[in-house]
Amino acid sequence: MSTNTVIDVDGLDVTYGDFRAVKGLSFQIERGELYALLGTNGAGKTSTLEVVEGHRKATAGTVRVLGSDPGDRAAVRPRVGIMLQESGFAPDLTAAESTRLVGRLSGREDSVDRVLDLVDLAHKADTRVGQLSGGEKRRLDFATAVYGSPELLFLDEPTTGLDIQSRDALWEVVHRLREDGTTVVLTTHYLEEAQQRADRVGLMHQGTFRHQGTVSELTRSLPAGIRFSLPPGAPTPPAASVAQGDGTYAIETFELQQDLKQLLDWAHTHGIELDGLSAAPTRLDDVFRAIGADSTAS
Amino acid sequence: MLPIAQNELVQLFRNRAVLVTSLLMPVAVAAFFISYRDTFTRIGSLGYVAAVLVFTIAAFSLYATTVTTLAARRQTLFLKRLRSTAASDVSVLAGLVLPVSIIAVVQIGLILGVFAAVGGGPSDAVLLVAAAVAIFAMMLALGIATAGVTNSPEHAQITALPLSLGVIAVATWVGITGTESLTMLKRVLPGGAATELVVNAWNGGAPLTDSLLLLGPTLGWVAVSVVVAQRMFRWEPRR
Repeated sequence: MSTNTVIDVDGLDVTYGDFRAVKGLSFQIERGELYALLGTNGAGKTSTLEVVEGHRKATAGTVRVLGSDPGDRAAVRPRVGIMLQESGFAPDLTAAESTRLVGRLSGREDSVDRVLDLVDLAHKADTRVGQLSGGEKRRLDFATAVYGSPELLFLDEPTTGLDIQSRDALWEVVHRLREDGTTVVLTTHYLEEAQQRADRVGLMHQGTFRHQGTVSELTRSLPAGIRFSLPPGAPTPPAASVAQGDGTYAIETFELQQDLKQLLDWAHTHGIELDGLSAAPTRLDDVFRAIGADSTAS
Repeated sequence: MLPIAQNELVQLFRNRAVLVTSLLMPVAVAAFFISYRDTFTRIGSLGYVAAVLVFTIAAFSLYATTVTTLAARRQTLFLKRLRSTAASDVSVLAGLVLPVSIIAVVQIGLILGVFAAVGGGPSDAVLLVAAAVAIFAMMLALGIATAGVTNSPEHAQITALPLSLGVIAVATWVGITGTESLTMLKRVLPGGAATELVVNAWNGGAPLTDSLLLLGPTLGWVAVSVVVAQRMFRWEPRR
């Protein structure tokens, strides 16, 4: 483990009775990274995250967070901010009281007003949590996680229930924390967020990693797609084109730029206008679908 | 621990339902027993009334409120939130039960104080305090254990009832009939030996060595309750 390794997971197993939710998982997260832990439903990412956060004990394997056992709260938690998937606030406490309580217990120093202002909740400081909307509670959750600018930040479905402005504001705060060196572990069902923000992605399926690497490494594992339609009477398109049965054609390619140019040259030569032409690189969504298709086939 | 306790106290006073059912109702029941003390003394003794007062506060103000509070905090994932911080499990739990424990101690102090003023004080105040501490420790641990099988504050109205009424029934049975018959059974029941201890402490007349022996089963129940609490308590709702 290098001195820059913030999270080191080796051979992690989590079982519930006879069910093995996580199967020998190993990965490392380096300082300053934004690592997205993604997975299909029931993939084991919540179990993995709970062990790494220190909420659950591993059945087997070793987990080190900032050089310590994640269950050693006194050593780890003052350096770690956790945004849980669900709020977990007392409904009868105000937003300011909740932030102050979690902040004081975190062992970090900060100002309640500052963090509430960060998430645009300063005007709700004296409102009881039970009277906040779902999105406001989510922002409060985020405020308590970033209290005191932790070295390591867990964001579990951070933008679920947030409007677009709140999402942008949240990512802006994360961006500023990362500039100061904060390491971020993200789980999300919004794959475009992971695609845009993550340095690396761990994609889990049935308790193990199906893919792990940078977004471009993952998306390069599948072909990009070109779609188009031809007018009636048009000549046969280039050989790689596959008729889809609805009058459209598709080309799957690992050389998107080259094959697109070849198609456009062909259309230009024959004087054909390609209706509905689209060319898209592979997205994380496609990688997910491929995993789903694999498991259905197997 | 103290920040948790401080916020717990704030929540307690903001939630009128908990305040009335768990804290004011037991005081009302205690007031009833004190006002009709002559009748209850004829049935049992002053010591019996004192035992019922201690168990009323222990069962409702402390035990039932502990069950309700912990179930509510777990249901809203507040326990998980607190465990996401640097606070240890012991300090989280202690912070959550500290306010109700202090309130219960203050309540029983005032209630027994009033009872002593109008009906005559206890023969052995030290023994009475020891008995009350043991009863409170037992009921607190049992409250934490019962919270483990309680899914919500509403569910607490069902799960907390058997033990709440059970210990008061035992206190009433032992307090009225004494322990000359069915001695072993009465002393091993939860609260049985503790009731005898309170009765002896208040009425006097029993040798101190005999009374101290009663601390055995009482502390045994405290130990059993703590072990049961450790095994049964859950920090997160069942999935």
